[in-house]
Amino acid sequence: MSETEQKLRSEARDLLEKGRVNHIIGYEAGSLKFSTTPLITSDKEDTDRLVINPFINNNLSVFLGEVGGKAGIVARGCDARSIVSLIQDKQLAREDVFIIGVPCGGIIDLDKVEKLTGLDRDEIDDIAWQGDKAAVTIGGARKEFPAKEVLTDDCLSCEPPDPREYDLLIGEVGPLVTDGELGRSKIKELEAMTPEQRWEFWKSEFSRCIRCYACRQVCPACFCNRCFSEETEPAWISPLPRWQDNLVFQAIRMIHVAGRCTNCGECERACPVNIPLRSLSKKMEEIVDELFHYRAGTDKEAPPLMAAYQPEEAEDFIR
Amino acid sequence: MTQDAEYEPRILGFLCRWCSYAGADLAGTSRKKYPANIRIIKIPCSGRIDPLLIVRALRVGFDGVLVSGCHPGDCHYQTGNYRARRRMSITKKFLEYMGVEPERLQASWVSASEGGKFAEVVTEITSDLKQISPNRLFSDERDGTKAAQ
Amino acid sequence: MKKIKKQDVPALLVKWQQDFTVFAPSKKSGVSRMEVWDGQDTAFLDRNRNTVIPPKANFLLNIEKMFDFRKEGGSYTLEPAGGEAPRQLLFGIHPCDARATAIIDMVFKDAYEDNYYLGRRRNSVLVGMGCTSPYDSCFCTSLGFGPAEAADVDMMLTDIGDAFVIEEVTDKGKELLAGAEGVTEATADDTKKADAAKAAAAAKVTRKINVEEIRKRIPLSFDDKKFWEKVSAKCVSCGICTFLCPTCYCFDINDEMLKSGSGARYRNWDCCSFPLYTKMPAENPRAEKWRRVRQKVHHKYAFYPELFNIIACTGCGRCIRQCPVNWDITQILASLPAGAPAAAEKK
Repeated sequence: MSETEQKLRSEARDLLEKGRVNHIIGYEAGSLKFSTTPLITSDKEDTDRLVINPFINNNLSVFLGEVGGKAGIVARGCDARSIVSLIQDKQLAREDVFIIGVPCGGIIDLDKVEKLTGLDRDEIDDIAWQGDKAAVTIGGARKEFPAKEVLTDDCLSCEPPDPREYDLLIGEVGPLVTDGELGRSKIKELEAMTPEQRWEFWKSEFSRCIRCYACRQVCPACFCNRCFSEETEPAWISPLPRWQDNLVFQAIRMIHVAGRCTNCGECERACPVNIPLRSLSKKMEEIVDELFHYRAGTDKEAPPLMAAYQPEEAEDFIR
Repeated sequence: MTQDAEYEPRILGFLCRWCSYAGADLAGTSRKKYPANIRIIKIPCSGRIDPLLIVRALRVGFDGVLVSGCHPGDCHYQTGNYRARRRMSITKKFLEYMGVEPERLQASWVSASEGGKFAEVVTEITSDLKQISPNRLFSDERDGTKAAQ
Repeated sequence: MKKIKKQDVPALLVKWQQDFTVFAPSKKSGVSRMEVWDGQDTAFLDRNRNTVIPPKANFLLNIEKMFDFRKEGGSYTLEPAGGEAPRQLLFGIHPCDARATAIIDMVFKDAYEDNYYLGRRRNSVLVGMGCTSPYDSCFCTSLGFGPAEAADVDMMLTDIGDAFVIEEVTDKGKELLAGAEGVTEATADDTKKADAAKAAAAAKVTRKINVEEIRKRIPLSFDDKKFWEKVSAKCVSCGICTFLCPTCYCFDINDEMLKSGSGARYRNWDCCSFPLYTKMPAENPRAEKWRRVRQKVHHKYAFYPELFNIIACTGCGRCIRQCPVNWDITQILASLPAGAPAAAEKK
């Protein structure tokens, strides 16, 4: 167990014991290799199971709306931004959440490791950081990969990786390897295409969608009580998973969460059919930044992007 | 794609009831000529526009969408058009990234006294849309059942 | 027992293509699922792990047109869609998915015969392939069968390296092999190798559940609100575990209308984890998340056994593997309380 983990466990226990929070939301070891799972508890004994490692991939702020009472939540940089964004949107009162900021050295993208090794994750024995390399052990043999090759695209272009809004910061913020250009390489590929090619690309991607709505359900920014996609009068999109409606659903979802999405990458990771949703969300982040110099979840006092305006704003597209 | 001489784009216009709708009305009463390609839906304010309405219009086959409201500073509700502007600029850039031609999303400020401008706007966007293909974004020959087999 | 060399399989598939649309596991669409065989790909002969999308998608379509309707004056004319179901051959289906298909056959031919599903089933051939590399989420051996089970397919292939040993299970299976080029009688040595491969595969399934104990405990858990609240806390109510479950069969029915009042009726997958499940006709009786999670577990391990005397789970592990929050049904089942809750703790 790392020092950080030790500290996290004792702090979390203390918070529950002293009654400063009603719940702790953190991560515990998952039931599969290299997995973690959300731990949501009000029992101080459970805090001994809290973990911090390169596989803590859920954005736990999605649970804040449903636990009730005051919650102590383990937050990485992106999670903390999501929390701030929820506060901006008045979905959450700052005093109802106790943010336990944790250093994030980046999350290891198991899909990338699978691609690099040609194996599935359950066939790999061990993955661990060795300095700025990931040491992957398979059948006793060890291979090392530079961090840049195994970090998730989100982590490569994460800014800032350390939580800026917190009540307690545990541990030192580790040296995170970032490479924004590498992180957006898929976007660059798409930008180089013609509009027709891009449309064909997305059409093909969304042909696989089974409309399980995991992308929406894991998204902290998707907090509507009733999603437009489930309206029946009128039915904005067909409930049938046709590519056309799958595409409309996701395009609108992305536009609706513009300025709220912190690019935690949960939607893409949750997607069971591997639709590269992050290539949409990250691009949206860039558009918002370019047009309005706005970055989601960086200022809890700021009005939400879509609730604000400046009288002088680019309108070269308006006749 | 070469354009069929007969191609007449179908445009859906969302016009705010205070300015642009009145402007369109004025264009009519002052007998300004403009292409009959636009169908108009009156909305309470351009701030009512949800990107969903725009994408839905494309989904059902309109070749282009026009959102039109009061000039900056003139919104009946003070700020509706500013909010619409933000939403429109994001939507336009984002849909362009997905592969929707920028010509399909149009916006204008037309006041109640600008009947002439409304006629010009419709003339211009109709001509813009004639430069690109009809909207086949969502067309698909496959029947759902066959596709799933 | 028969035998076929791996190199001869493509020719056999080509032969079968004359009578069937041949499906085989493939990742070419970007996700692994049963895909119409392209005549080229043979990767699945050497490496065939469970697909992400279960083969139930070939029988219970996610977009199934039921009928067209036409409005004429004050009345409607219905035209059933499709006609005869396509003849399909699923090559390389795993025992867990084949068993799952047998399990949901029961519900589709129960009180009401569902001919959309049954028609596809009747016109289908299942060529099973023993699972040689189960995932760490697999637990089929706890459910009364294993990764080599042949009972639910028409013929069963067992990988013995450069060849498959083939067990002919049904008459349909026998017919398909009769006179096929490259198919020979298996030698005693081949069957010995096959038996060893089967045993090795079964040994790789290390995740276990205790079905006997679960059967005892699950009815007692129904009123245990506290338990269900606890185990449902991290569920995000998405549709992954049900849509990817080979034994989940819920569907929703939707009409697509044209302006004239004519249109078509379709059905698509539905999911009891969705807060809006059954909202269309009335209300979702399971508004809270814990009730939905309880429903999911009870449906598989309590209600279905009551109705059909079989657990509606085959341990394929998809719900564990694909869950975005690692909600693990085997852990939930293992933590079922030994007794019923005290009266005061009931819902």
